Amino acid sequence: MRKGLIVALVISAFIGAQVGLVLAGGVADTGPGCGLGKEMWKNESNTDTIGKQLLISTTNNPFFIPLQAGGITSGTWGCKNNGKLWTEQKVTMFAQLNFENLSQEMAQGQGEHLASLASLMGVPAEHQGEFFAMTQERYTTLVKAGEASPVAMVKAINDAIATHPVLAQVSTR
Amino acid sequence: MKSKPHVFLTCRLYIVLLLFILLLAPALPVDAGEPLDNAYLVELINKGAQAKLASEREWHLLLHYRENLFGGYTSEADDPQFFLSPIGRTDPHAELESTIRSLFSEEPVGSSKQPAQCSFIARYHWLKDRLGIDETKLPAIHCERFDQWFTEMNADSITLIFASAFLDNPASMFGHTFLRADQKGQTEQTRLLAYTINYAADVPSDVGPWYPIKGIFGGFKGYFSTPPYYLKVQEYRDIENRDIWEYRLNFTEHQVSRLLEHAWELGNTYFDYFFFKENCSYHILSLLEYADPTLHLTDRFHVWTVPADTVRLVAAQPGLVKGSMYRPSRRTTIQRKRERLAVKEHRLFVDITEHFGSIKQETFVRLPIQRQAFILDVTSDYLRYRSETDKSHSSVYKEQNRAVLAARSALRIPSEDVKIDPFSKQPDLGHGTSRASVGAGWRNNDTFEELSIRAGYHDLLDPEIGHTQDAQVEIASLSLRQYNRADQTRVERASLVNILSLSPMDALFHGPSWKVNVGMNTIRFGSCQLCSNGVLNGGIGAAVESHWLKREVVFAFGEAEANYSRAYEEDHRVGGGGTVGLLTDLTDRWKLMASGTYLRYALGDKSDDFRWFVGQRYTLSQNWALRLEYNHRDHDNDVMFSVQAYF
Repeated sequence: MRKGLIVALVISAFIGAQVGLVLAGGVADTGPGCGLGKEMWKNESNTDTIGKQLLISTTNNPFFIPLQAGGITSGTWGCKNNGKLWTEQKVTMFAQLNFENLSQEMAQGQGEHLASLASLMGVPAEHQGEFFAMTQERYTTLVKAGEASPVAMVKAINDAIATHPVLAQVSTR
Repeated sequence: MKSKPHVFLTCRLYIVLLLFILLLAPALPVDAGEPLDNAYLVELINKGAQAKLASEREWHLLLHYRENLFGGYTSEADDPQFFLSPIGRTDPHAELESTIRSLFSEEPVGSSKQPAQCSFIARYHWLKDRLGIDETKLPAIHCERFDQWFTEMNADSITLIFASAFLDNPASMFGHTFLRADQKGQTEQTRLLAYTINYAADVPSDVGPWYPIKGIFGGFKGYFSTPPYYLKVQEYRDIENRDIWEYRLNFTEHQVSRLLEHAWELGNTYFDYFFFKENCSYHILSLLEYADPTLHLTDRFHVWTVPADTVRLVAAQPGLVKGSMYRPSRRTTIQRKRERLAVKEHRLFVDITEHFGSIKQETFVRLPIQRQAFILDVTSDYLRYRSETDKSHSSVYKEQNRAVLAARSALRIPSEDVKIDPFSKQPDLGHGTSRASVGAGWRNNDTFEELSIRAGYHDLLDPEIGHTQDAQVEIASLSLRQYNRADQTRVERASLVNILSLSPMDALFHGPSWKVNVGMNTIRFGSCQLCSNGVLNGGIGAAVESHWLKREVVFAFGEAEANYSRAYEEDHRVGGGGTVGLLTDLTDRWKLMASGTYLRYALGDKSDDFRWFVGQRYTLSQNWALRLEYNHRDHDNDVMFSVQAYF
């Protein structure tokens, strides 16, 4: 493989100025657990900006759900002893990070992001159809809420589920 | 040539290191800290030594040891905290002993600061199995953090994901691979929620202009991470418009657990990131190897690890892949949906993307409701595509999209599932990355034979199955020719990089085409019959696609070129000009390219150059093709027929 090595060295010396890397931002020191989640949505009204920033930082920043490295002290992520809170955070995080895809799919009355949201919110797969129809019907209200904050959108969906004749009965959360 | 000082330096470095270790070795306390009177510890250490565990492949996989030049071992992991022995990076035996010792201790180790049983849980489980560790003598420690993580991953199978090449970012020119840990009870629709296992370099934001050099020579640290799949889909499908291929792997529950446990350990460390070899794909393979140690994957890659090659290798393992799935980029989706629009509908679609008010048109309102929905859906796709690709007007497109979606939601029917077919087939069907060819032909009054080799990756005439359409990336190629009458063997052509990206434009897509070429060729110029000529060429242009026969792409470039050769006055010339060309599929196997270039050189040797090229390729099989090429320059005609093999 000497020859390969030579070739590799020559190429690399040459195209150095052009070749880049799989870009990744700094390694996070904290995980996304409850602590960060709280920080993230505290006093945030401008979803669009914060969503974008978050998206940039998370796509560049690989430690979204951390493996074990970094300064994640035990218990601050995954909301130790509080699975429910973590589940809620996951819904909010998903709603925030997928707002564009979700709005599109709500308007279209179906889609994988919407199906994923339904599953995160405890809607059984066989009642997805009702969930899709409900979010399509309330599209304008839900998107308006989502533009204010993902928390507001999730709350609006939860309220809608609670008053829905079928979903209220079957939803597990 | 360049490798000589490099190799020399490396050897010297090794010798110095060896001397250093030899000097240090007697001073290292063998049993630092731990009491040696633990009989069970001694028993386990002896048992491990007798069973020669430190020489086993699985131990080497766990610690990422590679055999080095002198027959010893060095780990690819670069974080000292990954090793429990101070000499563990180069000594599998010492590392094994220290690991067994550490299992008895609750003292936090590794960069995550947990007891060894938890920080290095895959090592612990492997040793427990191989040494038959008795839990009454060496109690298991409860690893709460690992358990939480493992529960959250909730994995029941593993999928290898390939994001196809993306020429507009040099870092992504060869594609990217990562793993997805599919969760129990998920459907195809909720796969988005699964976590992925991704390896990438950590490039600081203030990295400066030297980052490519650092990236190639290991100047960055690479880390494993587990972002949810929806973020990766967003990044590749929605933002970068790259097609994604998913290969479901046939791992048992036990193998899935092994993979995750080892991934957890790797979260504890970093590797120096080498763009060409120890990159994302290389380390992903090493995870698959630990999941199933009968797989030999990383051994196949010595100098570079091209993501598509790793996909082909994985797909070629008997029984490893149980199915593949395609996830189209947004751009592909729009293109495919457009094909389903009637001419009148397409006009409406373009109108609505420009003025939302067009949905009030009589022609739109009178369409069946399903067609209205379909048009609004593709409009929304397109507006989202524009908001990602035209950042300065992003908010305008977003607002327009809101209006379109509000109208769409009022239609109250769900969109039908539209099956989107890829424009190029799955990567495992593609030709190998490297290419060798043998050819013969005529040049002016002479005949010649030619041998060529190309390190990577794909040119416009190569069989395009499995490769991104209209995207040429050639790295490091060399052609040797024997001219019979002149009785001369010479380097006919060489290329360091030759990239050409064609993006067909139309009313909706406006991306430019571009090219860069750095290399040399052999010219006939003035009194010089065969003269080496250095070439530096770059251009920007446009392409248009048509479907008269099958598929044709017509392109035009404005370009600048600099040449260096003894044949020129003052040894060089610099100028500019343009190229027009055509690329067309005549049949599924037969492709033709023709181009003409005119360049006028205003600096150095003031001259001009008119040249044209016609080339044809016929595909024999996945890795074999024939080519016939004709090159013409001023009084210089060159015809060559060649057989090409990809490997």
